[in-house]
Amino acid sequence: MPDYDVIVIGAGNGGLTSSAMLAKGGKRVLLIEKHNVPGGCATSFRRGRFEFEVALHQLSGMGSQEKPGPLRSILRELEVEEKIDWVWMHNLYRMVLPGRFDITLPANKEGAISALQSNFPAEKENIKNFFDLVYSYIVEWFKITQTKQDDISREKFPLYFKYHLKTAQEVVEEFFTDQNLQTVINFYWCYLGVPPKKIAFEAMILCLFAYIEFKPYHLKGGSQMMSAALTETLRKYGGDVRFNTPVESIIVKDNRVCGVVAGDGERYTAPYIVSNISPVHTYVNLMDPSDIPPEALYNLGSNRIGVSAFILYIGLDCPPREVGFTESMNVFCSEAGLDEGFLGLKTIDTEKDPFIVSCYNLDDPHFSPEGTSQVAVVCLKYGEPWIELPPEQYHETKYRCADTLLRRIESQFPGFREHIEEIEAATPITCMRYLGHPGGAIYGFDKEVKDTGYFFQTRSHVQGLYFAGTWTGWDGFQPTLSSGYSTARKILKQMSMEVK
Amino acid sequence: MKEFVKQLDGYDEVVREIDISRKFGIDYRADRGKTRKVIDRYHPDVIEYTVTDIIEETPDVKTLRLVSKSGYLPPFQAGQYINVYAEVQGIRTSRPYSISSSPRQRAYYEITIGRVENGFFSDFLLGKIRRGDSLKSSGPSGNFYFNPLFHRKNSVFIAGGTGITPFMSMMREICDAGLERRVTLLYGSRTEKNITFNDELLDMASRFGNVTYIPVISEPSQRYSGKKGFIDSNRIMESVPDIVDCTFYICGPGAMYDFCLPQLEALNIPGKRIRKEMFSSSGDITKEAGWPAGMTGKETFNVTIKGGRNIKATSGETLLSSLERAGLVVPVNCRSGECSMCRIKLVSGTVFQPRGVLLREADVRFGYVHSCKAYPLEDLEIIL
Repeated sequence: MPDYDVIVIGAGNGGLTSSAMLAKGGKRVLLIEKHNVPGGCATSFRRGRFEFEVALHQLSGMGSQEKPGPLRSILRELEVEEKIDWVWMHNLYRMVLPGRFDITLPANKEGAISALQSNFPAEKENIKNFFDLVYSYIVEWFKITQTKQDDISREKFPLYFKYHLKTAQEVVEEFFTDQNLQTVINFYWCYLGVPPKKIAFEAMILCLFAYIEFKPYHLKGGSQMMSAALTETLRKYGGDVRFNTPVESIIVKDNRVCGVVAGDGERYTAPYIVSNISPVHTYVNLMDPSDIPPEALYNLGSNRIGVSAFILYIGLDCPPREVGFTESMNVFCSEAGLDEGFLGLKTIDTEKDPFIVSCYNLDDPHFSPEGTSQVAVVCLKYGEPWIELPPEQYHETKYRCADTLLRRIESQFPGFREHIEEIEAATPITCMRYLGHPGGAIYGFDKEVKDTGYFFQTRSHVQGLYFAGTWTGWDGFQPTLSSGYSTARKILKQMSMEVK
Repeated sequence: MKEFVKQLDGYDEVVREIDISRKFGIDYRADRGKTRKVIDRYHPDVIEYTVTDIIEETPDVKTLRLVSKSGYLPPFQAGQYINVYAEVQGIRTSRPYSISSSPRQRAYYEITIGRVENGFFSDFLLGKIRRGDSLKSSGPSGNFYFNPLFHRKNSVFIAGGTGITPFMSMMREICDAGLERRVTLLYGSRTEKNITFNDELLDMASRFGNVTYIPVISEPSQRYSGKKGFIDSNRIMESVPDIVDCTFYICGPGAMYDFCLPQLEALNIPGKRIRKEMFSSSGDITKEAGWPAGMTGKETFNVTIKGGRNIKATSGETLLSSLERAGLVVPVNCRSGECSMCRIKLVSGTVFQPRGVLLREADVRFGYVHSCKAYPLEDLEIIL
C-alpha cells in the first residue's frame, strides 16, 4: 500500500486548499514544502516591530457573510472563514497620472460609474454603456457555465460570442476615445501581469465585476493567517505536513506517478500528486528526462515565463494620513496608455513604470503597531535582466531601483522618506529564492488570450499528476485558492470512479 | 475543445496563434537546473570551505579565513553573518558568525571567534580547527547592515567584545572603497590589553579622516589613560558631533543592550535611527527578565515529537539545543529568534520565550514558536 493517497508538492495557496480539501475528503495526504512556513506568496516576514504582508493586496470573491462570494464559500467549507477577522475595503483603487488625473473608484457600481463620469464628462454616455456591457456580459458568462453545451448559441449569448476572446484594449477602445479613461478602466492589468493589449477582456472584466460585487477584502494577521489556518484544517483531518523539505524528484512508472523523493533522501509513495509548483520545474527538473511526455513539452513551449516584481516593504513611524495617504490602494502612472510603462517591464530601471503603493492601515488600523504604517510598493518586472546581472552589482542595483521609486513616492507623499523605520526591497531574485519559480515569476506564465480561459493548459500528460496554482490558471489569491479546491474535487471524483 | 467555443469570434485566430507559438516554442529542457543555479549565486543552502589561514588577533580571539571549495562566494552586505555548521562532541549543531572581512572582495570570508566561558562551539572552532580543515556554513544573511535608503551617512557603531566583527566588515568596506560616510566607533572592552583589532582600528582612524575610533575600557589598568567605564549617554554626546543626524548600530553581549539602549533613549534617539544586531541566548537564561520564579533552569522535561521520538529537555537550555543533542537535525539560521527557520508547532505545554523573538501573528495564534528561543517549562508535545 502506498504511504499516502495524495502527495501535494508546494504549500502555496493551491497546495494548501487542495491538501486541506483532500484530507477533509478522507484521503491520506502529505503536503511537502521546501520553505519553513506555509503560504508561498501568502506569507509575511518580521522586521523590527513590523510584520510585513508579502503579497496580498485585495482579496476578491469574498462577499458578505450573508451573501458569500465563491471564495468565502470555499474558505467556509475548509473551516477557515471563522478563524479569521475579515476587513472589507470601501474603494477599489485610486489611480493617478500626475498632472492629468487623480481618480478614486468606490467599490460599488453606481459610485464607480459616477466617479468616472464626473472625471470624464465627455464620455458620460460611453461609461454607462460600458458598464451595461460588463454586467450583461457577466450575466451571459455565468449562464453559460450553467447551460448544457448543445443549448449554447450565438443567438442566446450574443455578447459572450462577440467579446469573449477580445483583448481588454480592443473593448475599451470600442467604447472610449479618451486614453486617460482607458488607462483607468484597465487598472487590473497590474493584477494580471500582461498589458491590456494582450490580456483577455474576460479577465479584466471579471476582476472589475468581482471587486465591485464582492468587495475587496483584507484580513487581520495578513495572508499568513489564512495559510496557517488552512494548515490547521489539513492537520485536523489527519494530513501530514513536511516543511523545510524540497522535493528532489517525482517517481514515474509507465507514465503514471507513484511518489516523490524528498531532499533528505526520504521516499514517499502515492498514486496521485498535486503539483503546486511550475510545470517547468515539475517536468524538467523533477522528472527523469525519459519520463517527460513529449506532448507536455511541446504544449509548454508556447508559454512564456511571466512577470516577477520589484517590491518595497516599508514601515513608517507615523500614521498613514501624516504623509498624505487617503486611500489604501494607489497606482501611479507616468504615461497614459501605459505603453511606455510596459516597455520598461523588461528592464531593471524603475523610472517610468507604473507602480502600486498600498497602505492597509487605512482600512485596518491594526495593520501595524499603533502610530505606524505599513506600506507596500510593487512594480512589475521580468526576472531576466536581474538574472543576467553580475552578482557583485546586485546590492547597489537593488538600492538604486528602490531609491528611484522612493523619489517618485516622495513627490506624491512629501515627507514619506523621513518617516521610514524599516524597509526591505525584494527583487525578482528574491521572488525566485522564496517561490522557486523560473524567472521569479509571481503570476506564473504570461497570460495572453491564447494562454487563458478555454486555452489554459490545466491537463497534465502523466497519469495521476495534477496541477494547482498560478501556472495553470488565473493568478491572484482567489484564483489560486480556488484552483487547489477544484483540483482536489477532480481527484476525489476520479478516485471514487476508480473504486466503482 | 467544446463545440460552441469554436464559434466564438476570434477563435480561429487564437488557435492559429497557439499553433505557431508551439511550433516555434521554447524547449524548456534547456532550462533544467537554471533556477537553482541562479538562486545559488545569492542564497546557496550550504557553502563548503577550506580554512586557509588562522590569524591570532588576541590570545582569546582568532580569525578564520574561509576559502570556498567551489571557488565561488556569494556577495554579502557588510554586517551580515553566516551560520557555521559542525559536529561537536557528536552533536550536529551550528552557530552564526558575522563576516568580519570586507565585502569588496570575495576571495574569502573571514569570521572572528572569541573565547567564551563554557563555549561549546567556540572552543571547538578555537581549539580544534587547523589550517587546511574543512568547514560548512549557510549563505550570508541577516539584516544588520548600512541601508542607504534611510540610514544617515553618519554612523555611530557601538560595539562590545566580539560584537566588533560586523563593524570590522563595515569599516573595512568604508576604508577599502573610500565611501563618503562618517563613522564613530565606540568600542567597549573589559581591559585595554586585549582589544580585538586594536592596531587595525588605530591605523584606519589615523589614515581616514572620516573614521573616529574610541575604545572604552570597563576594567582598565591604573596606567590606562584612555576612555574608561561604559558607553553611556555622556560618552556618546561627547564623541558624536551631531547625534540628531546619525544612525546608531549596536552589537555586543546581551547585557550591553540592556545598558546602552536606555542611554540612547535618554538622548531622544528615535527607534528608526537605532539598528540592533540580534544576539543569541547564551549565558544564564534564568536571569532573563520574565523568567518564571521558582524555576532553576535545571528541571528536565519530556518532549514528545509527534510522529517521532520522545526526548529529554532541560528548562535552562533552548529546545533547539535539546533537539540537536538528541541527534535531530533542525533547520536553523540565526539562532537568535528572528529568522524563523527553526519554527516548530507546540501542540501542548508551555515554553519561556525571552525578548527579541520575532514571531508572526499567525504563529502566536496557532502555537508556533522559534525553538532557538524557547525554553521548556513543562512536558511538551511538538510537531517539527
